Amino acid sequence: MNLIDKLATWEDQISPGISACVGCNVELTLRTCMKVMGPNTIFAIPPGCMGGVGVVGWDKKSGAKTPVFFPLLDNVASMLAGIKLHYEHIGRDVNVVAFAGDGATVDAGMQCLSGAAERGDKIIYICYDNEGYMNTGYQRSGSTTKGAWTSTTPVNHSGQGGKRQNKKDFPLIMAMHDIPYMATMNPAYIPDMVRKLEKAKEIKTGLVYLHVYNPCVTGWGFQSDFSIEVSRLAVESNFAPLYEVENGKFKMSVEIRNPKPVKEFLSRFKKFSHLTDEDIQELQEWTDFKINRLKHLCTL
Amino acid sequence: MSKKFITPVGDEGIYTLDTGSWRTFKPVMLKEKCTNCGLCMIFCPVGSITGDENKIYEIGYQYCKGCGICARECPTKAIIMVRESIE
Repeated sequence: MNLIDKLATWEDQISPGISACVGCNVELTLRTCMKVMGPNTIFAIPPGCMGGVGVVGWDKKSGAKTPVFFPLLDNVASMLAGIKLHYEHIGRDVNVVAFAGDGATVDAGMQCLSGAAERGDKIIYICYDNEGYMNTGYQRSGSTTKGAWTSTTPVNHSGQGGKRQNKKDFPLIMAMHDIPYMATMNPAYIPDMVRKLEKAKEIKTGLVYLHVYNPCVTGWGFQSDFSIEVSRLAVESNFAPLYEVENGKFKMSVEIRNPKPVKEFLSRFKKFSHLTDEDIQELQEWTDFKINRLKHLCTL
Repeated sequence: MSKKFITPVGDEGIYTLDTGSWRTFKPVMLKEKCTNCGLCMIFCPVGSITGDENKIYEIGYQYCKGCGICARECPTKAIIMVRESIE
């Protein structure tokens, strides 16, 4: 049975008709993740896009088939650690999964996630990185790319403004916690995503961190039908490379032989439309530096 | 849909948020061009495209938001987007 047949027969754990934006690839990521995790799962969604669209069921219309919690922005990992300990205590094996946005992971929830990683709590933490607080109108976060327009880093008529700081390399930060498994995923590479999720389900020795790079239709400004195409471009231009770290060993999941220029990826979005050639060159150099460091880590 | 959930949802049960009414363009599958590869099914964000053991894929219009990802990603261009008519 190949993967597409498996995905066709696995049960969808999220109710249809959730109010995510048209063409939202986070909704695709959530449905795929929960299909793989299966019914024996307890998951938590902190405030963010997927909480806001009604997966947590607060609008009394939509929801999930499995138990779902709605924790605060900054206690996701610690709350799930407690839930996992309880189920270990009563002797039941359940998948405890967090599905958090980048604000709840990279900024607000970082200390409790770092603590859970250090203690080795057996939870699966999935972060969907859409580079900002999208649910409240696209404020900047620690994960926003340098130069990007956001509602808190606006751009004036002559094209000056945008975020001044570089993006936090959070997958690498989590890998350096020496957790048993860390991987980056992308909605355009569903077979790769399913393989990593199945691997994550099998790991029983500590925290698993999975980072998904999700371009946001509404916030970044592109047409909904390009949602998967631009996600693929992020990998093909090495802007968001796909790799995994298993017990400290780095490995590229998708090797890009002839990477496309970062300009091709950046020019797809309205939020980067004010960038000058120098800004794009700076981001290209930054991307090259990152991928070279990653490739060097893979050789160790 | 009725088999998937405890309470039947969609046309034969309770209606949750009617995201089908958001649609301005509707995907239409051209069966003669379709090679049954299933890529539209794995990329559909709302889970509207369903498949069975015989690899026959169908588009359900109950919750389809009309994003157009399936038409864009189809390798044989077997899905076209048609403007919804105003009734």
